[in-house]
Amino acid sequence: MSFDRLRRRAAAVRSRWTGLERDWQSVAVGAATVATVAVFELQIPW
Amino acid sequence: MSITRFLPGLVALGLGGVLARAIELTLGPNHLLVAIALGFVLANAVGVPDRLEPGIGTHKLWLGAGIVLMGASLTLETVLEVGGTVLLVVVGVTAMTVLVVELLARNVFGLAERLGSLLAAGSGICGVSAVVAVAGAIRAREDQIAYAAATVLLFDAITIVVYPLVGDLLGLSDVVFGVWAGVSMFSTGPVVAVGFAHSEVAGQWATMAKLSRNALIGAVVIAYASYYARSDSAGRPSLRTLWDEFPKFVLGFLALVALASAGVFSPAQQASLENAYNWLFVLAFVGLGTEIQLAELRSTGLTPALVVLLALFVASTVSLVVLAALF
Repeated sequence: MSFDRLRRRAAAVRSRWTGLERDWQSVAVGAATVATVAVFELQIPW
Repeated sequence: MSITRFLPGLVALGLGGVLARAIELTLGPNHLLVAIALGFVLANAVGVPDRLEPGIGTHKLWLGAGIVLMGASLTLETVLEVGGTVLLVVVGVTAMTVLVVELLARNVFGLAERLGSLLAAGSGICGVSAVVAVAGAIRAREDQIAYAAATVLLFDAITIVVYPLVGDLLGLSDVVFGVWAGVSMFSTGPVVAVGFAHSEVAGQWATMAKLSRNALIGAVVIAYASYYARSDSAGRPSLRTLWDEFPKFVLGFLALVALASAGVFSPAQQASLENAYNWLFVLAFVGLGTEIQLAELRSTGLTPALVVLLALFVASTVSLVVLAALF
């Protein structure tokens, strides 16, 4: 993948993210955390 | 908009969170209350530097994400066990708070109608977010919005200190303390903070009760818009408003409750998600602390503060008596 394509994709993600209402952004962060923990069996320390 | 604009503030939130946790581990005070105190000291002693503001301003995003993740540590069984009764208490206390503030504001203290309504929404539903939502629907003036928001923030600051003290003094059980904070305190952040400062279970009940209360915001906005639309063209109430004002992260929270109830998560995954929301909360509360600014609190009008104080006293006492009798 060329650098330009990467940059365009990043810009598209950023634009979609800023277009989201804050509540939906919270849901997205939650979903991403659940997916990361589930897929990689990530152990988050406390 | 560049991520580097947010980075300094995010790093500050992270450092504050780690420091709060370290202070808890070494000295004992609850990390969430320490996090709020750290933010408060930063904002009021030295002031938040401009370049930290964008990142620190994301704290509500982390609070919402933490609440979503909290769903993974609950099951429908737990929620349904006392959920119906709690829902009735939530609706009852919310209605009572709104009515008491409206009555006091209009009939006893002679405040402007719209200011009274903003104070009622802020006290009854979800703090400053409710003030802003109702203000838009009833076309309140800027100074009324500022007064109402400052009053709500003043009581957020007071209740963060007073509720844990009363809870410990009366030896309240986890469920009673959590639901009591959830139905009678104002903004979501402080409710979650004092709930989890009491105990994990109290925190979960505080959050669930508060989320149920927040979900009433759409109905309250419609009711106020309809009321003021009768006398002027202040609002266009519609079912669409219900959806627009609904706190959507509640849907993420419910989705995770459903997944946890279906046994999707292993105990290790649940422990990780629990730790994740603890970190998200501690980040959020450092940011929340920076919003408690003494200079702004001093701008609260005496009469609006008195109205809200009396209503809070009534709602808090009645709900505590009812909850102590029920649980």
